[in-house]
Amino acid sequence: MAQTERNAAGSENSIQIDRRGFLGTTGLAAFGAIVGFSAGGAGIPAAHAQGAVAPAAAPPKGPQYLKFPGKNAGLVVLGDRPLVAETPESLLDDDTTPIEKFYIRNNGQLPDETKNPDAWKITIDGEVNSKIEITLGELKSKYKAVTRRMVLECGGNGRAAFSPPARGNQWTNGGVGCAEWTGVPLADVLKSAGLKPSAKYTAHYAADLHLSGDASKPSISRGVRIEKAMDPNTLIVWGMNGQPLPNIHGGPVRLIVPGWAGSASQKWLTRITIRDKEHDGPGMTEFSYRVAIKPMIPGDKGDPSNMRILESMPVRSIITSPANGAKFAPGTKELKLRGASWAGDLAVKQIDVSTDFGASWQRANLDKPKNKYDWQRWTASVKVASDGYFEIWTRATDSKGAMQPHQAGFWNPQGYGGNAMHRIAVLVG
Amino acid sequence: MLRAMGTALATLLWFAPAIAQTAFTPRDENPEEFAAGPGRDETFYTCTACHGFKLVAQQGMTRAQWEDSINLMIRRHNMPALDDKDRAVVLGYLEAAYPPRSPAARGGWQNPFAK
Repeated sequence: MAQTERNAAGSENSIQIDRRGFLGTTGLAAFGAIVGFSAGGAGIPAAHAQGAVAPAAAPPKGPQYLKFPGKNAGLVVLGDRPLVAETPESLLDDDTTPIEKFYIRNNGQLPDETKNPDAWKITIDGEVNSKIEITLGELKSKYKAVTRRMVLECGGNGRAAFSPPARGNQWTNGGVGCAEWTGVPLADVLKSAGLKPSAKYTAHYAADLHLSGDASKPSISRGVRIEKAMDPNTLIVWGMNGQPLPNIHGGPVRLIVPGWAGSASQKWLTRITIRDKEHDGPGMTEFSYRVAIKPMIPGDKGDPSNMRILESMPVRSIITSPANGAKFAPGTKELKLRGASWAGDLAVKQIDVSTDFGASWQRANLDKPKNKYDWQRWTASVKVASDGYFEIWTRATDSKGAMQPHQAGFWNPQGYGGNAMHRIAVLVG
Repeated sequence: MLRAMGTALATLLWFAPAIAQTAFTPRDENPEEFAAGPGRDETFYTCTACHGFKLVAQQGMTRAQWEDSINLMIRRHNMPALDDKDRAVVLGYLEAAYPPRSPAARGGWQNPFAK
């Protein structure tokens, strides 16, 4: 463990007080970073300084499951602060993802639920003829509402498949859900404000505080090209599956920019500023939500000038039944499969499944979407020749002919666009 | 020590509005849950000033990538700058405790029947 020995010198840097004891009672973890830990000269106990890197004793192996009011206990927590939880593929077996099963992604602190949703204010300003300040109540009464079933997917979905690992939450395939969203087309509101010819890009702002507590700093502020903002499917929504949009999903009001990285679909929406150039808020620049233009060597540092914004999400399919790890009775000869597939701005043209690691493929039955940006459910029935261990792989092809690869490819520092095929393992007998 | 306590008090006051906004109580974490090694406590408290350590521990990267992450946090997310000594402690720990791992060792596809 040469690494450990080399690091031991560094651990002479001291912790001046027993920070764990102090912080344990206040819960104020910020203390450590603010005070700094090499201000004094006192050493930490020798036994501690010599400790070699060893696997953590706790928490227990395996996923940490979510405990959150109104949410399914099968969701897997990727992080508590900010709260991020993904939905295992087998919980995405509903045609419309129920609210309780919908994944959670936050960048900042979770705001308190508003007591008066209809008084929530949204401002439209920037490159418009007339600035709009409108309450949610007015938005509901002045514009014609629409309901559409559309996929919302985290830009980092599939990141865990990158090798070497890429920075950020290690999503498998569970940063996705497909809900019935009710709201008004953003285009209708922008038309009333009147876009100036200089209008090029949107900048979205929200009510959630940055994790550092700095109220002047947006936790995330992304935007989209004006063409995407004017797409009739881009909505300002207040309803999810016929219910008021829950606080945890950005309620009382959020954007849904379907087909693009979920971060463009700002939660707790307070303001949209129309800009005359590409937005440069947190989440827009350098490697954030960007993929490489010239393919880069996996693991390299990357060059910000070689990155372009990830817009449409790539094609993906998942097996939603059976679950990974399902067991079947001895002698079972046929397995019935169900799944879902989607392809960002495009449609899914074809689903193939394999029980021999891709040596041969069988076409699945693919449903049509209910509306554009809906996911497409699929079914298949596969035969197994004997008892034993089998893997089932699924591969979607989008309407332009692009297929999912076996591996997450086109590595980039923050791991976007990873759409490796989904696989499950089952045991017969 | 007095200086440290004073700073802590100031931090408490500064964070008060942030705490009021939180409707969800994150799970309590402590350094002992994570890979042991020199610099663990320093790294834990440096990172958890803003976010949970689980966000760190689910990743696995080279020293150069960890350094990029720290630079990103300082440049864009209000992390206080680290002096060279502190930086070396944190990087030393992260490099040894959370190196690049295969997808199966960090939350990617897991074989449910593997023993």
